[in-house]
Amino acid sequence: MSVRTAVVLAAGEGTRLRPMTRNRPKPMLPAANRPILEYVFDALIDAGISRIVAVVGYKRDRVKDYFGPTYRDVPISYVTQAKQLGSGHALLQARSVVDGPVLVVNGDRLIDGATVASVVDHFEEDQDTPALAVIERADAQRYGAVDLRDGDLVSIVEKPDSNQYRLINGGIYAFPESIFGAIDETPRSDGELALTDTIARLIERGRVRAIMTDGMWVDATYPWDLLAVAREVLARGRVVEDERADGVWVDDSATVHEDATLQGPVVVGPDCEVGPNAVVGSNTALGDNVTVGANATIRNSVLDVDARVDAGSTIIDAVVGQDTTLGANTTIPGGPADVQVGTDVYEDQRLGAVLADRVRARGNVSLSPGTLVGPKATLHSGVHAYGHVGEGVEVVR
Amino acid sequence: MCGIIGCAGRGEDTLDTLVHGLSKLEYRGYDSAGVALADESLDVRKCAGEIEDLREHLSGMTVEGTVGMGHTRWSTHGPPTDENAHPHQDCTGNVAVVHNGIIENYQSLRDELVAAGHTFHSDTDTEVVPHLVEDALNDGLDPEAAFRQAVEQLAGSYAVALTVAGTESVFVARNDSPLVLGLGEDATFFASDVPAFRDFTDQVVYLDDGEYARISPDGWEVSDVDGTVVEKAVDTVSWDPEETGKSGYDHYMLKEIHEQPRALRQCLRGRVDELSASVDIGDLGDLSPTGVQFVACGTSYHAAFYAAQLFQSAGIPAQAFLASEYATSPPPIGDALVVGVTQSGETADTLSALREARHRGARTLAVTNVVGSTAARECDHALYIRAGPEIGVAASKTFSSQLGALNLLALATTRSDEAREIIAALRDLPGQVQELIDDSDAKEVAEHYQDADSYFFIGRGHMHPVALEGALKMKEITYKHAEGFAAGELKHGTLALVTEDTPVFATTVGDGEQATKTVGNVKEVEARDAPVVAVTDGQSDIERYADHVLTIPETHPRAAAVLANVQLQLAAYHTANFLGRSIDKPRNLAKSVTVE
Repeated sequence: MSVRTAVVLAAGEGTRLRPMTRNRPKPMLPAANRPILEYVFDALIDAGISRIVAVVGYKRDRVKDYFGPTYRDVPISYVTQAKQLGSGHALLQARSVVDGPVLVVNGDRLIDGATVASVVDHFEEDQDTPALAVIERADAQRYGAVDLRDGDLVSIVEKPDSNQYRLINGGIYAFPESIFGAIDETPRSDGELALTDTIARLIERGRVRAIMTDGMWVDATYPWDLLAVAREVLARGRVVEDERADGVWVDDSATVHEDATLQGPVVVGPDCEVGPNAVVGSNTALGDNVTVGANATIRNSVLDVDARVDAGSTIIDAVVGQDTTLGANTTIPGGPADVQVGTDVYEDQRLGAVLADRVRARGNVSLSPGTLVGPKATLHSGVHAYGHVGEGVEVVR
Repeated sequence: MCGIIGCAGRGEDTLDTLVHGLSKLEYRGYDSAGVALADESLDVRKCAGEIEDLREHLSGMTVEGTVGMGHTRWSTHGPPTDENAHPHQDCTGNVAVVHNGIIENYQSLRDELVAAGHTFHSDTDTEVVPHLVEDALNDGLDPEAAFRQAVEQLAGSYAVALTVAGTESVFVARNDSPLVLGLGEDATFFASDVPAFRDFTDQVVYLDDGEYARISPDGWEVSDVDGTVVEKAVDTVSWDPEETGKSGYDHYMLKEIHEQPRALRQCLRGRVDELSASVDIGDLGDLSPTGVQFVACGTSYHAAFYAAQLFQSAGIPAQAFLASEYATSPPPIGDALVVGVTQSGETADTLSALREARHRGARTLAVTNVVGSTAARECDHALYIRAGPEIGVAASKTFSSQLGALNLLALATTRSDEAREIIAALRDLPGQVQELIDDSDAKEVAEHYQDADSYFFIGRGHMHPVALEGALKMKEITYKHAEGFAAGELKHGTLALVTEDTPVFATTVGDGEQATKTVGNVKEVEARDAPVVAVTDGQSDIERYADHVLTIPETHPRAAAVLANVQLQLAAYHTANFLGRSIDKPRNLAKSVTVE
């Protein structure tokens, strides 16, 4: 029996990415100008998967509305994880809709088809033994770190304290159907069922194969990581728009004024409009229906669907959420900055600003490096914003 | 996207099995459909329209065969005519083919076949396949070898199936389009998607690209490009096929309400340019009408009413007529352009009104969702709203897309000082509809008022057609009495019906004269103890007199009509859901009304 069905875990919010996750889960945040989850689905379909089961939870309508009943002609079934009680619990929700061996992937990280195919191929040689993708990362202690012996997993530790680890769990698993029973038998810790706890038990009782891969594996932990993700996607040319010139991808339905300049790598999505003398790029992604006014400069930034940047604005090192409008002469001069999230301070990040969905900046607004602006906040004319502006807050001069 | 289904071994139930399977694939499209059944002879039946139309077309006919296949189509190129519907046949009528996908080299193949003397009956890429098979059969190949030889000549994507009179088999091949076999106890199936045969079996075999299969009443066999038999794994499916088309929603209607941002993007794509304030809706000839008469029914009439307002505000005399009345009592037309608004393009009353207008020498334009539908073909021009298939009987996303497309029509054919602002507002709509859906309180409002005796909807200007549509939606799916009015008209009679058990949905935007007057009307109903639900952008003080508020984002009043309507759609949907109604197929109603 071959592996045909993939379960994609896409129920979690990704709380460290707030305020970008106000209206959608992490898998729907933009990697350049398409949702992270779309890259995951592409990888699965490229690897021959013919049916996708998406486990959705937090803001699940946004996943269902974007992909609908099929993606690239592959049917998608949606199952709901009402409460996010861990990745094992998430997978259990799919139990009633899958049969036989199953591929399981995290829906919130960029992966490629070759990696998925490699896990499937190795698993199909011995379908009683679970297999998972293993990737080498310098920052292994941030993820689920693993140790191997003779190609088998010997330990798996979530976010280890020590930095002796170099290998991580890639979040791509192939399991025999018995995985569901194994999750059932795993004791909950703090009310949650982590898939990695089950895998740790499988290691004790038998074998778990580790499949070393070196394909694309990109993750965003904090909002500003979306800039690095976009850089990587553009560097790899993982965009679907037509390439007009080297590293310049523009959708057919976009309108770019003849006096505008696009500096690659840059991607301009469907229905975008770029006005005269605007300079967009490098390392910039414009989502669907973004409007860039005359004489605006945008560099090293991600502008999500329906964003508007009015004439004369300067936007550098910024993440701009959906349907956010930056009025004329908005200035975001760019990083580096010390960014404060809650009580934690992240020093020396290259970040101009993060503006969440539906922010309104009325005009002549400037933002200090590292500013975080919550959804539906309004920055009135002439405001200078810094630090953290909360959701729905109106800032007047 | 299209859907295909086939079966062998179902005996007398072959036809029913195929039609049932097609109905399960309706989510993939439904503008034309057909079946082919084979035993010693081949029977092909097909027609434009929904699966229901095919069912009707087939009733009373004897269509027999021991093997068969069917197809449902949603055309993006080439009209949904009887001729373009699948299955397609060769010159002899002994060969039938259904296909999902795109044959990229069909033009060159077709040219060669025509040069060799073949006659084509359709505009489709698919029709080359039966003729290629015909040639191979004439060369003495058996049907299976003929099928392989034909498929090997195709470039592009396909899930393709063939049957030939006298073979009692169906041959299928797959490349880049989905195809799955279903293995029953006495029968074998194939389809684009499992739900098509899920009621008969849960045992499936997924074909891979480049593979062929033969199914017959005796069984099935899969082989590769070279003809070598392939051992295929048999999978068991245990999931509920109902879920596939609905994306996990309880009803198509809610799915379609949620699809509106995407539908609006499609409607506008490539047609608007905000920075140069221009609109391009393709080749509609020299349309600069001196007058416009809209004809339409039901929800489309409300869109037509709104469109008439757009032309009036541009200084062009315009009126909306109920198509059924226009057909029998037409007004003087003069030089007016007559515009038929019909989602399906097959609405009998609207077609009749358009024919009456043409008969009187008028120029006609169809505004429709279905490429090449009867309305689109019979009118001088067609403007497509591009909403994609809508399954729920009560129109939702197609109304929003109609408003979008009619705005484009008005912008393209009249002069406006506000063109740039309107285009900007239209471009903002997808994001604003998304915002509204993310934050709507319509469910709470619906829960609160689900036991009301009656619902009233009021609005002025562009909110008047929205009030009418809000009431129609409430009637259609909740089976409760509801009426929409121009806000100023309430006091001229209907106020007598207003009580504490009749919620009034009052829709207003901005803080101008219309808003002030609508607030005055709200005070009238509030004084009669009627609960008030305000649908507002928060600029007027209507909230002071309202029991509940449904907020819409601030925008141009034209675009606000779309937003306000989405709130009313959600209110009607959730009310019907609390009442346990049959939302996708309300009693007594049909999706497209093809009788007068």
